[in-house]
Amino acid sequence: MIQTILDALSYGGLYGLAALGIGLVFGVMRLVNFAHGELIAIGAYLLIVTIDLGLPISISIAVTGTAILALLMEFSVFKRLRVAEPSVLLIASFGVSVFLQRLYEVIFGALPLSGQIAPWMTGVIEFGDTTITRGSLVTIGLALVLLGGMWFFIEKTTLGLQIRAASSDFQTARLLGVRSNRVIGAAFVFSGVLAAAVAFVLVTQRGSVDPLFGVNITILALVGTVIGGLGSLQGAALGGFAVGTTISLLNSFLGNYRIYTYTWLFILVIIVLLVRPGGLISNKAVKERV
Amino acid sequence: MSLLNVKDLQAGYGKVQVLFNGHIKVEPGELVGIVGPNGAGKSTFLGAIAGAVKASHGTIEFGGESIRSKNPEDIVRLGLALVPEGRAIFTDLTVNENLRLGLTGRREKSGAQKAIEEVIDLFPVLTTHRSHQAGLLSGGQQQQLAIARALVSEPKLLMLDEPSLGLSPTVIQDVFGVLNRIQDQGTAIIVVEQRAHLVMSIAARTLVIREGHVRATLLREDAQDEARLAAAYFGTGEDLE
Repeated sequence: MIQTILDALSYGGLYGLAALGIGLVFGVMRLVNFAHGELIAIGAYLLIVTIDLGLPISISIAVTGTAILALLMEFSVFKRLRVAEPSVLLIASFGVSVFLQRLYEVIFGALPLSGQIAPWMTGVIEFGDTTITRGSLVTIGLALVLLGGMWFFIEKTTLGLQIRAASSDFQTARLLGVRSNRVIGAAFVFSGVLAAAVAFVLVTQRGSVDPLFGVNITILALVGTVIGGLGSLQGAALGGFAVGTTISLLNSFLGNYRIYTYTWLFILVIIVLLVRPGGLISNKAVKERV
Repeated sequence: MSLLNVKDLQAGYGKVQVLFNGHIKVEPGELVGIVGPNGAGKSTFLGAIAGAVKASHGTIEFGGESIRSKNPEDIVRLGLALVPEGRAIFTDLTVNENLRLGLTGRREKSGAQKAIEEVIDLFPVLTTHRSHQAGLLSGGQQQQLAIARALVSEPKLLMLDEPSLGLSPTVIQDVFGVLNRIQDQGTAIIVVEQRAHLVMSIAARTLVIREGHVRATLLREDAQDEARLAAAYFGTGEDLE
């Protein structure tokens, strides 16, 4: 039972990190970045190909490389589409996603690339009759630290305040002097850092990476950002956490019927959206007064 | 040299041109009104000056410097602040956070906290709400917050787009009373309004915009001349400029 709860929390934390990464960019650009999955994938590739340099160096390279790729996406594609319709941005992000998948095939091959990143995470810890996996504890700890760090950054720093303002009303934020390129660049960098964290957890669990490595979690994290309330950073993290936790609990409770996990997940998603169409934390929660 | 000098300004949205001939001169410390019916191009005029709407033709000089090709975040740093129509405050942020955002456009980074305190003195109604969510303020308080937020950047020119929109007569008096005090401190002001009498009561001169053209310039005493006012506002008779 304890392991089930810890698994649910670790899944929730993992999906919360992925959803927050997507939510940050959506907030300031209204861009649903499907290429976030390829940021997760490059993080995993960099971890595997540099692990011989030692885990701390490998993690540093993965975080830096993923953040740089996120910035490259912004400068090379999305910056040129600043005034484009959201649908154009969406299609562009599909294009970036497919391009990077093909690029990974060319560079790393189409077959999975294997490697052990942190084998100690696959072990278990025993408390009397209860055994819990180290991976769950590390994931929960990592999620707490990163979500806490992001909360501090967003709520307590000037740049965080500017990102919140830009997420709420970009044009007014610019009229007040908020530099659009700086805020959007920061959102992409933090999105990349969060993608690298997700890559670390996923690649230690799976032990391999392929060009489609980040696609599945990105789609589910996108669902999380919608459930949480598009445009709300807290909502994105909460929605991602809710999706991850639900997947984990459904996997546990459905047992042999776990092939229906996603069926039940999306039934629940539809119910949540029917009850709260604006998501769990809606940006329009405060009604305008006269 | 005028603080703001706009000539032959044209602007719009995509292929739809809204402003065909915008021109205005504002001297330091002057309060100028702009009136006109709905859809005349008043907000587009202010938006184009502030960099929020792309101008396709004309010149905009602020402090002797051309600002037509500059973006909004650079223009506010030169000392030109816009309070958009509908207040545009961040309802999910606190009053204090809204004011801190206003500091972003300051030229002088020192004295930021002092600037906030001075602005709060001008709008004492905000004092007790500083830690409250801005969306919970009344309409009048939100309008005062929007003006206060623009003032903490210490602008040389403050542009207000329909500050009376949705406010009760008493609250409108409060808001317009503060504008005189802001002008007394040396800040030039442009006020866009649909209510001609209201803005003409505080502005030395008022431009009338119709169908994207500046059609007339009215003086304060013209407010008593209903025929002239109607002719300028509704376009009956010839242009009066």
